[in-house]
Amino acid sequence: MEKEASNSFDFISVGSGAAGLAAAVYAGRYRMKTAVFGDSFGGYTSIAGEIENYPGYISVDGFDLMLTMKKQAENLGAAIIDQKITSVKGEPGNFVVTDQNGKEYTAKTIMIATGMEHKTLGLPNEKELTSKGVHYCTTCDAPLYKDKVIAIVGGGDAAVKGANLSAEYAKKIFLIVRSNKIKAEPINYEQMKKLGDKVEILFETQVLQIEGAQKFEKVVLSKPIADSPDLPLDGLFIEIGHFPRTEIAQSLDIILDEKGFIQTDAFMRTNKEGIFAAGDVINLFGSFKQDITSAAMGAVAATSAYEYLKMQ
Amino acid sequence: MPNVIMYTTPTCGYCKLAKEFFKEHNVEVTEKDVTVDLEAREYMIQKSGQLGVPVIEVGDVMVLGFDKNKLSQLLNIQQ
Repeated sequence: MEKEASNSFDFISVGSGAAGLAAAVYAGRYRMKTAVFGDSFGGYTSIAGEIENYPGYISVDGFDLMLTMKKQAENLGAAIIDQKITSVKGEPGNFVVTDQNGKEYTAKTIMIATGMEHKTLGLPNEKELTSKGVHYCTTCDAPLYKDKVIAIVGGGDAAVKGANLSAEYAKKIFLIVRSNKIKAEPINYEQMKKLGDKVEILFETQVLQIEGAQKFEKVVLSKPIADSPDLPLDGLFIEIGHFPRTEIAQSLDIILDEKGFIQTDAFMRTNKEGIFAAGDVINLFGSFKQDITSAAMGAVAATSAYEYLKMQ
Repeated sequence: MPNVIMYTTPTCGYCKLAKEFFKEHNVEVTEKDVTVDLEAREYMIQKSGQLGVPVIEVGDVMVLGFDKNKLSQLLNIQQ
């Protein structure tokens, strides 16, 4: 149940994924009046399916893990507010945060934990055929392809985990990988290899075209398969990574790094006084983006905010 | 309150978000698992014109995905 919140806070997180929720736990313990905002509760973790690499849990559904963090934060007094923040303005010690309904809140410190957005292939027909055979969420939609033939574009952990999940349903899975290697956790890759011929990896291959009339029908590949570049499929899942959501950061003239992520120091401080950042929107550990790193960064950001406020 | 039916799959994270939203606002929902209920699956595809979940039917309006704003409007929920 959403807590009834007044409008003034010591610490506001813009983002309600692992970074935002972990920050709220620590901020609560520091007795900072805290709110966490986000229109997609739990971020990508909520839709990630089973999480088996968060210490303390042998296996936990991502959504359930986020619910537990939420409960812990709420027990410590944080308000978890299911709204998107559309702007952040103001000065250190007196920031004004506006939600999608125009309601304003004030905060002495802000943490930006806006996460990432999934990448698209950027091909014609891709948008038109989304949800008509083209998908971006294997955990959501793979079960719809029972006894069908699908392809997953990507060679990272999300793609391989997607293949492992899809194998319970699909009769054949093609993994379309741009490079010559799989970049998933070895344990996930090992699980996929056990599926044998059910999963066929197409290395050094790209999707050139997505085709279909009323619904998705096939892809055209950069390398032929069985002498043809055409691969007819029932479904196509695109798991090629994400880019950081930095609109709010950019509106505040927060410095981004050369890859477009928010730049912080080791204490999660941005170049703007009183504004911190954490989670997948920063690139502190490169491509290693996990719940554990997001949670750690959230905790550090909350601590930095607390230390900052003590000095004011 | 209009009748609410949600078409889901067992592993769909957005469906869980939607369920949590409905629970918080005391909205009664009938869930149909389209991986096993083939009639519901066919109906969902025909009526929504697409194959993605969740699809949430509020009365006779089909909402594609967990569109909180639209659902709040249809169910008269104050956000």
